[in-house]
Amino acid sequence: MSATGYGWLVLAFPLAGTLALALGWRLWPGRAAGWIGSAAILGSFAASLGMLFELLDRAEDSRSLVGTAYTYADTAGFRADMSILVDPLSVFMCLVVSGVSFLIHVYSVAYMTSDRGYVRFFAYLNFFVFSMLLLILAANFVVLLMGWAFVGAASYLLISFWYRRDTATGAGIKAFVINVIGDVGLVVGAFLLFDGTGALDYAGVFEEAGNAFGRNDGQLVAACVMLLVGAFAKSAQVPLHTWLPDAMEGPTPVSALIHAATMVTAGVYLIARMHPLFELAPAAADVGAVVGTVTLLIAATIALAATDLKRVIAYSTMSQIGYMVLGVSVAAYGAGLFHLMTHAFFKALLFMGAGSVIAAMGGVQSLDKMGGFRKAMPFTFATFTIGALALAGFPLMSGFFSKDEILAFTLNRGGGYVVLAVAGYLASGLTAFYAFRMVFRVFFGEPVPEARELERGHLHHGDPANPATGEKEDTEVGFPGPEHHVAEQAWPMKAAMAPLALLAIVAGTLGIPGVTDTLEHFLEPTFEDSRFLETHPSESSEWLGLALGGGLALLGIAVAALVYLRRPGTALQLRERFSTVHTFLSNKWYFDELFDAVFVRPMAAFGRFGRSIIESVFVQGVLVGGTVGAVRVGTSLARAIQTGELRAYAFLLVSGLGGLVLYFLIVSV
Amino acid sequence: MIPLAEIQPPVIDYGGLAPLFATIGGSLVVFLVGLLGGRFVQRTLVPLLAAAALLAAIGLTVANWDPGDTKPIIEGALAIDTLALFLSMLFFVAGLATIALSLRAPVVRETGSGEHLGLLLGSISGMVILAGAENLVTLFVGIELLSIPLYVLCASELGRASSLEAGLKYLVVGSVGSATLLYGLALVYGATGSTDFAGIAKGIGTTVGVGDPLLLTGVALCATGLAFKASVAPFHQWTPDVYQGAPTPITSFMAVATKAAAFAIILRLFDHALADVQAEWAPALAALAVLTILIGNAGAIAQSSLKRMLAWSGVAQAGYLLAGVVVGTRLGLQATAFYLAVYLLMNVAAFAVVIARERVSEHGDDIRSLQDLGRASPLLAWPMTIAMLALAGFPATAGFIGKFYLIDAAVAGEYAWLGIMIVVGSMISLVYYLRVIAVMWMGQFAIELPTFPPRRVKPVSGWSPEADARAQPEVVAVAVLAAAATVVLGIVPSPLFDLARDVGSSLSALV
Repeated sequence: MSATGYGWLVLAFPLAGTLALALGWRLWPGRAAGWIGSAAILGSFAASLGMLFELLDRAEDSRSLVGTAYTYADTAGFRADMSILVDPLSVFMCLVVSGVSFLIHVYSVAYMTSDRGYVRFFAYLNFFVFSMLLLILAANFVVLLMGWAFVGAASYLLISFWYRRDTATGAGIKAFVINVIGDVGLVVGAFLLFDGTGALDYAGVFEEAGNAFGRNDGQLVAACVMLLVGAFAKSAQVPLHTWLPDAMEGPTPVSALIHAATMVTAGVYLIARMHPLFELAPAAADVGAVVGTVTLLIAATIALAATDLKRVIAYSTMSQIGYMVLGVSVAAYGAGLFHLMTHAFFKALLFMGAGSVIAAMGGVQSLDKMGGFRKAMPFTFATFTIGALALAGFPLMSGFFSKDEILAFTLNRGGGYVVLAVAGYLASGLTAFYAFRMVFRVFFGEPVPEARELERGHLHHGDPANPATGEKEDTEVGFPGPEHHVAEQAWPMKAAMAPLALLAIVAGTLGIPGVTDTLEHFLEPTFEDSRFLETHPSESSEWLGLALGGGLALLGIAVAALVYLRRPGTALQLRERFSTVHTFLSNKWYFDELFDAVFVRPMAAFGRFGRSIIESVFVQGVLVGGTVGAVRVGTSLARAIQTGELRAYAFLLVSGLGGLVLYFLIVSV
Repeated sequence: MIPLAEIQPPVIDYGGLAPLFATIGGSLVVFLVGLLGGRFVQRTLVPLLAAAALLAAIGLTVANWDPGDTKPIIEGALAIDTLALFLSMLFFVAGLATIALSLRAPVVRETGSGEHLGLLLGSISGMVILAGAENLVTLFVGIELLSIPLYVLCASELGRASSLEAGLKYLVVGSVGSATLLYGLALVYGATGSTDFAGIAKGIGTTVGVGDPLLLTGVALCATGLAFKASVAPFHQWTPDVYQGAPTPITSFMAVATKAAAFAIILRLFDHALADVQAEWAPALAALAVLTILIGNAGAIAQSSLKRMLAWSGVAQAGYLLAGVVVGTRLGLQATAFYLAVYLLMNVAAFAVVIARERVSEHGDDIRSLQDLGRASPLLAWPMTIAMLALAGFPATAGFIGKFYLIDAAVAGEYAWLGIMIVVGSMISLVYYLRVIAVMWMGQFAIELPTFPPRRVKPVSGWSPEADARAQPEVVAVAVLAAAATVVLGIVPSPLFDLARDVGSSLSALV
């Protein structure tokens, strides 16, 4: 089978899975739905491997294939095909997405067992994977937009999966609204590009862009900035990031799948995919680099103060994606995507570990209430620590090689980029600190009652309650199920975490400076037109950067050990000493308040305006009259018409007409 | 006295007139047969006859389909081209949907099937005439023939005061619109000395200058009159009241068919007869489009009645459609035709669900009538979900590709900012479209809504409304078919694209 044939199979499996689960939702007994969903994603992964081998069989300069199913739209104005692009970049992304998604599906098979919406969950999950793969494989902007919007919708469905929780539905709506802002950015960007190049498919746009736009041409920069808006919204970059921490309202496997490993990396993928444009518009690329740096720094500081376990990991995700955005914006494509891959492994692993811990706590997510789980949960402890080490960039772990390669590239660009690199190094120290703040607070110290109970082999289930508000809930459909599952007692969870832990350790070997460059070499055909292909930092400076990063990681871990292990009271003292800073950080830099003032309130005012001004004039008579009593409206038709409504109509009519006539008379002279 | 021999009878192409004969003839037959009483006649025979007339009209329209130049069928008065035929097809399809939707509607019990469907077919005949009008007089005849039956139909649910009110209000406002239009037509005739569109187009620039005040005042009045019919702001105020008051099957007919008819004549008048003064009218229409998009979307946010919400959404959609007219290009014409077809599908699906719910729910057409529909009746909830997503322009629905087409036309026609307005409008519209979806699928989700008293369903004589409300397969079928078409055309839009391209060949003045 051809590579594109495999490409269509990659999409067909999860789509078939979605349909089978959704249409047969009454039929699947027990865990069958979970295994069907997992099998569909495994099929996708196998087909991705098929694509990989087909590509490797081909010469390097012919590894970009477009497969067209049919013509989607063909008019005088534009032509768009339903087509997919199979090249090293999309194959790489498909492998990462389908591989990690498969493991997360397996994890969920056990984790979600007692939930009343079990089948629905896997139908959504399959739909999400389908959308994400569609986004990745798209060969033109129309298909990209479809995938883009589907992914947003799937994430909305999954965040509000427990739809009877107000906090969950609210978070879902917030995510959706911000994603729609991103969609609009993407649409406008695509149209600006279409306007200049007359093409909608990537190849055509890239080919024409060089002729249609000069370097840093205004329209091109605008288009790229609009694409960045789309990327920032999906990838939770400042200031469009506020939805991501709230999205932790979804079930933990969702956080692992969507909000760590796959969807949030879509923005990084988009920038890498559009690299010919960003290299033509360096001004826009610089916007990306700066925003990435600001995000990685801000998120790392917030993660220092957050007390909700999942939210700490969520801010860490934002911060790590900041690194990736920085990487692909400074043309370190190989490094950025390398980090995307290693991050997918260790972050999914961290979320799975967190899910296990939260289950052991009976649904409680606050770090303040956890402690001493080391003995009770040896497997979770080991894997979580591996994840944290990789996240911290501990020497020789996967995160060590990938993160520091980005920073070495940034440093190598010289000039103002040095500032960005310095900020990146600063944040990597913070990363190590907050990563081990989690490890030490969850697994070390005095065991909490839940840990003691688990040590005796009994899992604490607790009263079902919303961890965000403490509100009591039942366990009916639309709420989390009554039972919890920890990795120690459920083999599918272990089976999903073990390979990820292994990958989190060894995935770094795909790109050790001077030793291996497997990944970068594989991706080269996609980026061969890049002006920066040859501007590698020298090997010695890469190793210097690695040494610096590794040193900072060790320092961060040491400080965390000092604060949380050696002198447990230090954290509180620090908090009191720097209470203003702490308040500022635990209020998340007040972004929510800022958003409220800038967007939410004006929108609400707009709605009120709609209601009061536009409606009231006309509704008063009918609707309000109706509320006062249908009787009064019904009594006299004449009266209803005399209430001034028609007069209001007439007034607007005459002024509208007057305006139009006036305009035409002015034009006529 | 003129000798008879000197009068040249107009050349009449009876083949081209055949679809019109089918609807007018069908209307008369239905009226007459409807006079017979009896359950069989009222419930089965009359709707069957009406449907047969429309099916025959559709067949004859397909037979006439011939992409290319305009063919006169009554010389100087009526012509057929792909635009006229395409839109006629839309009217017929909307008519068929309306017949199915009103099969068990309370309004039919109160007025009788014959009157109801006879008037409907009469209105459709007016639309067909309007779509093929080649001269100002035919235009006006068409507009009146389509409007007058609708005034009656709006008021025909006799037991409900708001229906009477809607009819009267529509009559008053519609007459003002017609009068304004007539005045405008007279001024255009006065300025150019010609009543037929080709003559007007020829006259502009020769007998009368492009900037002539008389001509432009006429254009302004015409624009106002037609803006009424198309519910373009600020001439839209009647829309929510009338849509809510009218019997719902009629509302759905007005929402899709009347809008298509209004845009048919707007396209013909502005992009054909007045194409040479495009530079003058385009900015004014563009301003109206922006105003319409903003007001329509702002108005829809505040609604709890689904019919009112759809009315306001229809106002907003008219703004999007106007963008295709403003650019005055072939691409714009194609995009408008495409969107009108898509618009029909999306709205018919939504209205069918509203009809199905208001017959059984104590909340009437209030949004609360949809609560928990996802679990109770997925066959209704899915079409509504698809319709709402498509109206919002969600990718992989026909609504997305339709909006894409319109934006494309706007961008290509140097009105890129109007394209951006469409995007912004769609973004705002998500607020009220998604609210509907949330109510259906998320059971206990409390949603802030304006309060509205529940409507009392009036018991009526004749067959049992309760039994009817329980079984309404035809309404479900309409909803499912329209929604399925929305999705299929969203994934495989090329057949509709091909039709739209043929439509593009009809107005020869366009580039």
